[in-house]
Amino acid sequence: MIRRVLDGLYLTAGWIAALSILFICTIVTAQVSLNILARIGGPDLSFTIPSYADFAGFALATASFMALSYTLRMGGHIRVNLLIQRLGETPRWLLELFTLALGGFMAGYATYYAASLLWESWHYGDMSTGIIAIPLWIPQMSMVAGLGLLTIALLDTLIESLLARKPILSDEGAE
Amino acid sequence: MTFLSELSDPAVFSILLGVLLVMLAAGLWVALSLIVMAFVAIALFSNAPEGLVLATTLWGHSHSWPLAALPLFILMGEILLRSRLSEDMFSGLAPWLSRVPGRLLHVNILGCAIFAAVSGSSAATAATIGRMSVPELKERGYPDSLILGTLAGSATLGLLIPPSIILIVYGVATEQSIARLFVAGVLPGAMLVGLFAAYVALRAWMNKDLIPDEGPSVPFMEKVKASRRLIPVMLLIGGVIGTIYTGVASPTDAAAIGVVLSLILAILSGGFGKTQFKEALLSATRTSAMIAFILMGAAFLAIAMGFTGIPRNLATWIGTFNLSPYALLAVLTVFFILLGCFLDGISVVVLTTSIILPMVEAVGIDPLWFGIYLVLVVEMSQITPPVGFNLFVIQGLTGYNILKVAKAALPFFFLLLLGVLLITAFPSIVTLLPNAMGN
Repeated sequence: MIRRVLDGLYLTAGWIAALSILFICTIVTAQVSLNILARIGGPDLSFTIPSYADFAGFALATASFMALSYTLRMGGHIRVNLLIQRLGETPRWLLELFTLALGGFMAGYATYYAASLLWESWHYGDMSTGIIAIPLWIPQMSMVAGLGLLTIALLDTLIESLLARKPILSDEGAE
Repeated sequence: MTFLSELSDPAVFSILLGVLLVMLAAGLWVALSLIVMAFVAIALFSNAPEGLVLATTLWGHSHSWPLAALPLFILMGEILLRSRLSEDMFSGLAPWLSRVPGRLLHVNILGCAIFAAVSGSSAATAATIGRMSVPELKERGYPDSLILGTLAGSATLGLLIPPSIILIVYGVATEQSIARLFVAGVLPGAMLVGLFAAYVALRAWMNKDLIPDEGPSVPFMEKVKASRRLIPVMLLIGGVIGTIYTGVASPTDAAAIGVVLSLILAILSGGFGKTQFKEALLSATRTSAMIAFILMGAAFLAIAMGFTGIPRNLATWIGTFNLSPYALLAVLTVFFILLGCFLDGISVVVLTTSIILPMVEAVGIDPLWFGIYLVLVVEMSQITPPVGFNLFVIQGLTGYNILKVAKAALPFFFLLLLGVLLITAFPSIVTLLPNAMGN
């Protein structure tokens, strides 16, 4: 039950990231089309999507952070497995527990400070600098959520690996 | 912590490097290893608030406009990877090359070069082209060593020929113009294609029995007909590079249009539907998150190292030797090849930019040129054991022992080295086009 909920959570976050990439593609394509229109039609037909570069940037942050946990569970983050591949099952398992615990601590630490950065942005009313000024805490939520999910995914994997008594992540073998 | 502040720079540097190596060897993910190393550096050897610096760096380096090109170019490659392009590559190129010395081996080289341009990943290039060309070439009786060698060597072009993912990483990490880096990669990429092709032709010319006969040449119109499906792809690549070169579009703009056009191409050529699109999108999401995470870790490391002052002092220290740029490059090349033996290309690049770049700039090396040089050296590490990714991919593809693949790839390793020497002796191979671009 809990397994299904967590896996669903990672996948949903992954899809939010995927849709953010499509959003970047759409907004940039739209602006390029408007640029082409302006070249053909002259200054009368010159339009700019307000703050489109800012929006693309925030969507990029959402895409990167929200996909962290999903990528981890799919074995998409790279690591050096030259050494660990040569070890027997038990030392490999112990190292996996160590890296998951350390990674979980580091991700949790980052989540905590990302959250306090968000709180500061909210408290001081920090805004983005574009034509459409957005309160910075809104896009920063994706950073806090993404890092939080990464922490959960690392700890989840740690518990899973403890119970299974063996490493359970398999690497995708990405470049 | 007073005793820590009395440690000399080399000692501090050794401790930090030791932390990184232990983390990496233990199998901690590269991005997290960089963050741990940076965290230790700030916490122990500076007075900066490490948590706050971490949060602001993660946020500050996650939403830049140039970086938005990254997921888009990856998605473009993933879409074309799943289209019929790779199948058309062999049948489209073969008729043109059957009379050239070395014959269809050039399909591997040119096919990889074209595919490299769209995919930007060297392992994906090796896998996609190899899946089609290896069985065909073997059946026709081409020598194994050259089939494997051309494939392993040419697939590394994916790192250099624009749009290149690793050049985006270098550009974002060093705040260089990605457009100029892309344009700078064009001539060296073409030069390497030329070197590889010349080597194959030379081998064929020296030993007439090496290459099987391909029968009579087909008429010109037949050739055009056979390669008609390749034309839109060539136009797509030409369009992407052309718009960036002329400054009509930024790399991010070109990437977005590239995604739309490759999607249209993939759908029109058939066999590409909803399932393939979903796969391509999710795969691009994972790859782009993986790279973005490493870039954030590297940015944090660069700032942490800045606090410790090590890169600056390292640069001053190197300066006291009065090394010529050539001597420094020779040392660095050996260092990078060793580093590449156990780290992947992107990690090598980000480690370089956060620690070594000040040293390189101190001896007066152009960072734009250095980016291309670095990519060439990383390419070499892709085909050296024990962790040359291309070797693994080709091993998986053909079932041959990795040592056999590595041996076949060795001449191409030396050709890449020759390429490095050439751009060092004639830097204008790199800088000519970007300088002609203006602003």
